[in-house]
Amino acid sequence: MNANVEALSGVGWMDQFRHRLYSAAILLAVTLGSVWALAIDVRFIYLLVYVWFGVIYGVLLQYGRFCMAAAVRDLFAVKVPRMAVGMMIAVGLYALVAAVVTLTGFSTFHPQPLGWHVLIGGAIFGFGFVFTGGCASGSLYKTGEGNLNSALVVFSIAFSQALVVSASGWFDGLAPAAWAQSAAAKGMPESLSVTRGWFDLFTAGYIWDLKGQTLAELLAVGDSPVTTIFVNTFVNAILPVLGILVALYAFYYRKGFLRKSGKAHLGWSDELAGMWAMCTSSKNTALAGVGLGIFAGLHMWVTGALREHYEIFNFGELLAAMGYTDGLSIQNTVFDPGYWYITTQEAQWGGWVLEKLGVNMMDNVFFGLDNGLPNPLLNAPGFMSIGIILGAAMLALARREFKWKFPTWESAFFAIAGGILMGIGARIAMGCNIGAFFATVTNGDPSGWIFLAGMVGGGYVSVRVFTKWMDWKVAREGGGLL
Amino acid sequence: MEWLKRLFGNHEEHEPLLSRQEDLPGIGEVRIAYVVDCMGAMCPRPQLLTKKVVEQIAEGEIIEIVSDNPAAVEAFPWLAETLACTCLLTVRERDRWRIYLRKGLGSEAAGNNG
Repeated sequence: MNANVEALSGVGWMDQFRHRLYSAAILLAVTLGSVWALAIDVRFIYLLVYVWFGVIYGVLLQYGRFCMAAAVRDLFAVKVPRMAVGMMIAVGLYALVAAVVTLTGFSTFHPQPLGWHVLIGGAIFGFGFVFTGGCASGSLYKTGEGNLNSALVVFSIAFSQALVVSASGWFDGLAPAAWAQSAAAKGMPESLSVTRGWFDLFTAGYIWDLKGQTLAELLAVGDSPVTTIFVNTFVNAILPVLGILVALYAFYYRKGFLRKSGKAHLGWSDELAGMWAMCTSSKNTALAGVGLGIFAGLHMWVTGALREHYEIFNFGELLAAMGYTDGLSIQNTVFDPGYWYITTQEAQWGGWVLEKLGVNMMDNVFFGLDNGLPNPLLNAPGFMSIGIILGAAMLALARREFKWKFPTWESAFFAIAGGILMGIGARIAMGCNIGAFFATVTNGDPSGWIFLAGMVGGGYVSVRVFTKWMDWKVAREGGGLL
Repeated sequence: MEWLKRLFGNHEEHEPLLSRQEDLPGIGEVRIAYVVDCMGAMCPRPQLLTKKVVEQIAEGEIIEIVSDNPAAVEAFPWLAETLACTCLLTVRERDRWRIYLRKGLGSEAAGNNG
């Protein structure tokens, strides 16, 4: 029914050519930058792996319009399940690839500590992302499309996280006394001041006492590879994905399908055909999911192999060996997850800037002990995020979808406020929609489903608030409609 | 302060909201009842505005949605279905898309569209 027409009266081949040229120029710049880095020290290959995987993630995200905020929001705001379906298919396919990587022994994945913080953090994150118009990964790819409002979201996430992990004041008192006792008992170096700053109390006094386990470990099913894969991949990822897809079909798709089919009653084969129609209409997002699954798996494999080659556990050791010791944590480490991650490296950007402005950002567990504060030019996962922006820009330019978009007062306010909430939520939950959900559920860690539950709950409330705001605005601006 | 206003003002070239006659390729002459101007708008604004407008128009009336947000544009055929509308046509121009929705599902006008 829906026909697509290109009315390119204003678009000559020159315009098309110009866009492709810009796209190629980005590719050339990343290539030249890589060669330059290798000329300085061949060990920068470790950092370049992040850069190039970032570029690939960016291309795939833009191709599939991969946005978790859209998945949750469209479901509640306009009852459109398209992105949610695509996202679930992507999770299932990614889980299969992750299983192969785990079997080869190159997985760099660590399960997240499981506790109430995952639910609460997820809810705050989900509340924020309806207002910003994009999740952590969505905001990065939209920045690559020239959307400066999304760039503002990334900026806001970076600084709010840096402030959350380093702030201390009267609110330290809100942390339970048990956390302070537990944190003090950890025997951390004086320089980290773990009993000061609520995030330090939260990390050292609460998170460290929790355990992160895959479902196979949680159920203690033994360590035979077949059982582990069955529990971690099939039970933890594929089964819930199928359950959610059936629910999405039943609640959001079936009615329309019934109407279109013209039948009064659907038999089993019709229902299956309906499910299939629903899944194939989210083709681009699902295809992006396959690609993301394969490349995220490869990313773990390549980083794992490089760690073995250089006999290191963490990029910090390599940086120290190359003579770059600025910004390493007291354990000589930097943030180096070895897989797809978004928010922690953004927190490091914010933290690095604040440190340069004279704020002591290293007297906390998050930067001082764990992740360090490397110069952004030496921040490997940071380059993955920049790679995502550049990769998305390349494809957006090639498809003529790149356009500079400037924020309005209203959208800037939402970007900053929503970004702050996303930053706070991501730190409390110890990750975003990628680090705390996508990478976890696909690697056998059930905590990601708790994060999703929180995120969906927060998103639901947020959609209600946002719709009220829109109603009020439309009513105020008159005309009945616009 | 003028530069601030310029930076945060809405930069897009906006569409006149008046109803008009339009000759749609493959569909023919139709009357556009409303233009939903979503230039520069982030999701979920285009979807919510469209939903609002669809609630106010009569069955069979056609609206035009103008958007420069590729993710929103791609989702419109799905949105049309949930709003019980027919997505007639999507026209891509240099820096925007025009989507034509008719309230109501399938009928004689859509039949012209091959």
